[in-house]
Amino acid sequence: MFLQLVVSGISQGAIYALVALSLTLVYRATTIVNFGHGDFVMAGAFVVYVFVILAGMPFLPAALLAFALLFALGLAIQRGFIEPIKAGPHIGFAMMSIALGYVLRGVARAGWGREVLPMPRVFDFPPIFLGELVVTGESLVIVGVVAVLLAVFFVVFYRTRTGKMIQAVYQSERGAALVGINVRRFHCIMWGFGVALGAVGGVLVAPFTLLHPDLGASFLIRGFAAMTLGGFGSLWGAVAGGLLLGIAEQQLGAYVSTKLIDIAAYLVIIAVLVVRPVGLFGRVAAVRV
Amino acid sequence: MTPVPLLALADVSVDFAGLRALTRVSLEAVRGQVKAVIGPNGAGKTTLFNVISGYVPATSGAIRFLGQDIHNLTPHQIAAMGVRRTFQNGGLFGEMTALENVLAGFHAQIKSGFAGLLFGTRAAREAEREALHRARRLLDLMEIGHVADQPAKDLSGGQQRMVEIVRALATDPPLLLLDEPAVGLAPPVRDRLMEIMRRLAGEHGLGILVIEHAIDLVMKGSDVIVVLNSGEKIAEGKPEEIRRNRDVLEAYLGYG
Amino acid sequence: MRDRRLFYVVPLLALLVPAFTNPYTQFVVNLMLVYILVTVGFNIVMGYLGQLAFANTAFFGIGAYTTALVMVYAKLPFLLALVLGAAAGALAGFLASVTALRGIRLYYLAIITLAFGELMRWVYIHADQVTRGTDGLPVPVASVFGFALDSEMRKYYVFLAIVVLVVKGTSNLLRSRVGRAIVAIRDNEFATASLGIPTAQYIVLAFVWSGFIVGIAGGMFAILIGRVVPESFGLIELIVQFAMVMVGGLGSLAGGVIGAVALTALPEYFRRFPGLEEMFFGALLVLILLFLPKGLVSFFARYLPVFREPLYRE
Repeated sequence: MFLQLVVSGISQGAIYALVALSLTLVYRATTIVNFGHGDFVMAGAFVVYVFVILAGMPFLPAALLAFALLFALGLAIQRGFIEPIKAGPHIGFAMMSIALGYVLRGVARAGWGREVLPMPRVFDFPPIFLGELVVTGESLVIVGVVAVLLAVFFVVFYRTRTGKMIQAVYQSERGAALVGINVRRFHCIMWGFGVALGAVGGVLVAPFTLLHPDLGASFLIRGFAAMTLGGFGSLWGAVAGGLLLGIAEQQLGAYVSTKLIDIAAYLVIIAVLVVRPVGLFGRVAAVRV
Repeated sequence: MTPVPLLALADVSVDFAGLRALTRVSLEAVRGQVKAVIGPNGAGKTTLFNVISGYVPATSGAIRFLGQDIHNLTPHQIAAMGVRRTFQNGGLFGEMTALENVLAGFHAQIKSGFAGLLFGTRAAREAEREALHRARRLLDLMEIGHVADQPAKDLSGGQQRMVEIVRALATDPPLLLLDEPAVGLAPPVRDRLMEIMRRLAGEHGLGILVIEHAIDLVMKGSDVIVVLNSGEKIAEGKPEEIRRNRDVLEAYLGYG
Repeated sequence: MRDRRLFYVVPLLALLVPAFTNPYTQFVVNLMLVYILVTVGFNIVMGYLGQLAFANTAFFGIGAYTTALVMVYAKLPFLLALVLGAAAGALAGFLASVTALRGIRLYYLAIITLAFGELMRWVYIHADQVTRGTDGLPVPVASVFGFALDSEMRKYYVFLAIVVLVVKGTSNLLRSRVGRAIVAIRDNEFATASLGIPTAQYIVLAFVWSGFIVGIAGGMFAILIGRVVPESFGLIELIVQFAMVMVGGLGSLAGGVIGAVALTALPEYFRRFPGLEEMFFGALLVLILLFLPKGLVSFFARYLPVFREPLYRE
């Protein structure tokens, strides 16, 4: 049973990894933590739902359209709401992202009322059997897509010119500006990517989960737990943290109590920050004063 | 008679971010003496201040203040023992007024407990009023009393520097570390700064360590000069000796 | 209009309020008093200390549940229950911030307060043997020195007294070395440490004080509403409290009062339409951040010097 739980944990964890990675991406690129990120993930799910159910599109084009739409949304938000308050206190950014998240959530709730929305079966892959382990079609799709996305992401990040540019701005914005990189445009685009990438997580769970406007909050806290566990600010840490969190949730749920699945993320956050604040791959977390 | 050292560093080395920032530096600070620390950029001067004041841990070596080992202490603990410093940039509390900045400097001397302040007892109000009075006087003494109620971020560079120094002086610290206090100041202001430094050391017996790039200030204003280069101390002596020192000239070759 | 003694006139005038209200509007005024404390407490951590924190609803809920629980199960009188609620809030403030003693700051600290807040809500729901979970815990009628607080007007005078005392005490603290230390940490923690101030301890102190005040507000809330439910301390409540602090003005006592008074009555109107409350308060917060980031009080302070709040007493 342990291994079976690991399998389902990896499938859950893949989504968390995606959410955490996209959060980390925006954080590393702009030093801003997007506290509304969970709601963008939820938005991805809802947009896909609208396209598939209400507009009758097939899943794949709907997913791609959702990605593009959320990318545009991320760009618009950075330009319209983040950039203008650059001069203010740093907590202003966090508050702005929170506020925007709530607006999204309110729109979703207003549009869909108090119901919980199911999406009909979109994929129909049969489960595969590895010895005694069952890997559901759902898990295959999710882990497959996330694995491909991560592979593409890290290849781009480490091997291409774009990736090198991203790394340059990460290391030193002033230095990057000096070699001619347009840092403002960079911030804008990274927000677009971060939001869109996070939304993919929502798109992926949409066919398999009951959708409701508060989905965002649970994604956000899992994203934070994954980041904290893996080491805040570390890209690999976000992925590792997400997977481990998924596995931990399933184990706790089965061996201790299902009620714990909801709060596993909170417990992980508190435990990590008390015992080992840098997490697995992070650097200095504590200040010396 | 050799003056008792306020501060004694013995073979202090500092590694951070994979670099050796300081290598076996030994120096002393003494009451009533202005000791300047000079050297090219990246020589480790600010790191020296950071390791003395506790913001960066020493990898090896000993640091003693008033005879006590301080290398494991945190910055606020070291400050509480009597070390005060200014910062190269942004050391002020920007949103607070100049007066409030200086009042913050008096924190330790306001002898009033939490309960007294909470209930506004007479004793607590007295202690606060006393500090307010002294803060105002100090600002007036340094001729910046007229900006007391302006937010610190709105002051000119020279005024900001003065406020930071006044704040550091509030509790009559035995040791003062000044990190490039004269940067960007107009000549008359710089001269006044030098005069203040000399008076603090000469008349009030403070030990002062000052990082400075302005060689003229250093030559005129300090009793002893220490030269750092690439994390090592390469010379120490009176200004006239340093001026003629071959190693020092080499370190500065091509510099400024 | 320089004289701060003007502020003492306000509570005196406030004594006359019940002459102009009916029970419903008086209820709303009482709710405003509760939220004045909520906002003042929140402001200490967010405005004065400058730390993003999500634990405010947790303090509110802990204060409410503690007060209600000891009134229901231990049959304690209201004022004593309120003190316990405040103490529980203070303890919560300590727990939420204790990692600061080890050097945890900024986003880490913000996230741990978020985890703490949501964890508490899970507890309210799942400890349902005791808290009655989502059904809510009914609160008995409070009485003070033998007088039953069975009318809005009676609750009002008790609340008014509490609020005046707490705000005055907070004002005293903020205008002393404690307040200066806290603001100094916000502006530059490293420089604050260089003055010999133990910054980590002051961070915890700010959270404990905030938790104490908001815990009192929670206890008041419990007897005002008459029933304590977990939903009152959830994520929608959080955005409303954020909006109150920002609309009034970060880092200002008067701002806290203004924000609470301005916004308390609003949530009622939005509750009927799903999503409207979140959209409204979210949008309000966005607008404030874009156009009036220092809140309404900054607008007043420009014309009325009495609203500028120095961190010392003349």
